Amino acid sequence: MIVPFGHVMAMAMALFVLGLTCVLLRRQILMILIGVEIMLNAASLVFVAASNRWQQADGQVFVIVLMAITAAEVAVALAMVVYLWRRRRTLVADDFNRMHG
Amino acid sequence: MSETLLFLIPLLPLLCAVVNMLFGMRLPRLFAEILAVTGVAGAFVLTLLFWGYAEGEGTRAVLFTWLNSGSVDIAFALNFDRLAAPMTLMVTGVATLIHLYAVGYMHKEEDYARFFSLLNLFVFAMLTIVLGDNLLVLFLGWEGVGLCSYGLIGFWYHKVENARAGTKAFLVTRVGDVFLGIALLWLFALTGTLSISAINAEASSLAPGVVTALCLLLLLGACGKSAQLPLMTWLADAMAGPTPVSALIHAATMVTAGVYLLCRFFPLVSLSATGMLAITAVGALTALYAASCALAQREIKRVLAYSTMSQVGYMFMAVGAGTVAGAMFHLLTHAFFKALLFMAAGIIIHLTGDENDIHRMGGLFRRGPVELFWVFLAGAVCLAGLPLTGGFFSKDGILLAAFTHPDPFYKVFWAIGVLTALLTAFYTFRLVYLVFAGEPRGDGHPHAIPLLMRWPLWPLALLGLLGGGLNLPAFVGGGERLHHWYAELAGRAVSASHVVEWALVGLAVAIAVAGWLAAHWRYRSYRPPQDNLVSRFLLSGWQADALVDRLFVRPFAAMARFCSIGCDRALFDGVLDGVARLATSWGGLIVQLTTGRMTTYLSAFAWGFLVLLGWFLLKLVNGGGH
Repeated sequence: MIVPFGHVMAMAMALFVLGLTCVLLRRQILMILIGVEIMLNAASLVFVAASNRWQQADGQVFVIVLMAITAAEVAVALAMVVYLWRRRRTLVADDFNRMHG
Repeated sequence: MSETLLFLIPLLPLLCAVVNMLFGMRLPRLFAEILAVTGVAGAFVLTLLFWGYAEGEGTRAVLFTWLNSGSVDIAFALNFDRLAAPMTLMVTGVATLIHLYAVGYMHKEEDYARFFSLLNLFVFAMLTIVLGDNLLVLFLGWEGVGLCSYGLIGFWYHKVENARAGTKAFLVTRVGDVFLGIALLWLFALTGTLSISAINAEASSLAPGVVTALCLLLLLGACGKSAQLPLMTWLADAMAGPTPVSALIHAATMVTAGVYLLCRFFPLVSLSATGMLAITAVGALTALYAASCALAQREIKRVLAYSTMSQVGYMFMAVGAGTVAGAMFHLLTHAFFKALLFMAAGIIIHLTGDENDIHRMGGLFRRGPVELFWVFLAGAVCLAGLPLTGGFFSKDGILLAAFTHPDPFYKVFWAIGVLTALLTAFYTFRLVYLVFAGEPRGDGHPHAIPLLMRWPLWPLALLGLLGGGLNLPAFVGGGERLHHWYAELAGRAVSASHVVEWALVGLAVAIAVAGWLAAHWRYRSYRPPQDNLVSRFLLSGWQADALVDRLFVRPFAAMARFCSIGCDRALFDGVLDGVARLATSWGGLIVQLTTGRMTTYLSAFAWGFLVLLGWFLLKLVNGGGH
């Protein structure tokens, strides 16, 4: 193990916070989705690092499953983005507020 | 013939009522009318056929067991005895004539099926009262006549005051019914039976105070139905109903139900001297009150209604003075001549073009059919108590009974009775003079009088005039047949020295003639009514309606208002509305959080996650501390 576990965790945390910041601050739906992807990648990184740290394959299995789920999620999300664009000609998240109380 | 066939007497009118009720409008009109008359006439014929059953101890007929639970065993039973038989005969007989009259009177009415079925149902209920063997059967009839009179008084319910009069009659008599209901339950609790004869037999074993209380309760119950003080306000308004209804319900039958009830319970009632005094007092005061009101009334039927009240007061006096035979005697003669007067009044109203006001009548002696004057006069002289008429003998018997009562208090009531007799003679002849004498003052166009409305008056006129023969007192050579017929049920035998009796008769004659002369002097030539304080006071029935309004209706309305506005609207609604408003305003605050923007939710989600994370960290740190 060349890279120490703590470094990987710090890297994952930085990635996660970056993703979260992206999700919270950006208004474009596409950018929010990218933020989500970054957060998921951070989670994958933790899994891989932990799997290596404790020498267990479970974490890597999770990562493969996660990649599959992410691919599916992106497919659905992009389809919805296209649909939303067709309906409203905008992709700013704040414009979709018809569910307000 | 078995005694169960006695049930045919009440059931025949009931059957005809039900048939008319269900199919009356689909049957030919003539058939419905014949059915209605047949039901009552059949009951009359049956009463005559079964007359023998009434002799001796009477006959008890059980149809079925009504209630049976433990020691309670109440049968649906009739008791055809000496008290019930003449009453049954009178009710069915007079009702038959009134039904015939009604066929003529209502010949233009479109809703005939409802009318005749209610009329028949009324006769059924009345016969149930008269014949009921136990208090429950009696109560069934008691409520039944109340219901039917409600339906019949408000028969022309399109006019709201008619419907109001029906409701008023129902509610006021219901006040009396409550007291009767209490008496009924109390008697049941005391004796364990509802059979009238058993209760009467056990009456002497009850505590005197209880008997007095029961007596007063029964009196109040009787007051409701018989329109006596203080429950008399409904009768005058009840004249809103069709005239045959007034004749049947408010002259001949229903108002006498109270008298009949007291006669039925005479063995119980007579045990309480206080109770008897109360009955006499109520009767005498009502007689005077109603007679004074009749002096100023302007509507012909209201005059007759007040006179009915007054005459029923005499009957109460008779019961209070201890003579059941006297009460029943007056009840029978009164039924004849009052039904006659009401039916004649119906003809008069027809002849004057639906005019009710006697001050707008007049001249009917020359204008109307001659026989009308004579039958009306026959009823009037009976009511006024002119010598040798039925009303004269029956009223005189009651006054004699009051005069000869050992209690000196009764002399006061006797004096009130004599004064009432004077007033009665006066207002009766006032009516006769205003209706028949002088020139016509109204402008109504006479309706044709069907033959059926004319001839039922004759038998009643004869019965009224000759009704004295039923119970002719001994001192004029009569046999006191009614008194002997009732035997042990007749109550106190009224006797006095011949001098006293002749003196009282002389007084009665003088009073009646004085009343007539006064009316003759006052109304021989028409003078318009004076509108002064006294006449207004009497016209409104001593402001009784206003008094009831102020004493009961308004406090009740105020209480209802308090409950409605004070309690319900202010308190309950206020609290509930406040809670609801609070929830709504809080909801309004929270609703601002749901912006509908995904980004807001996401940041809330992140903050929540952060808080959760912090909490877990805190736990971890604390857990590590241990």
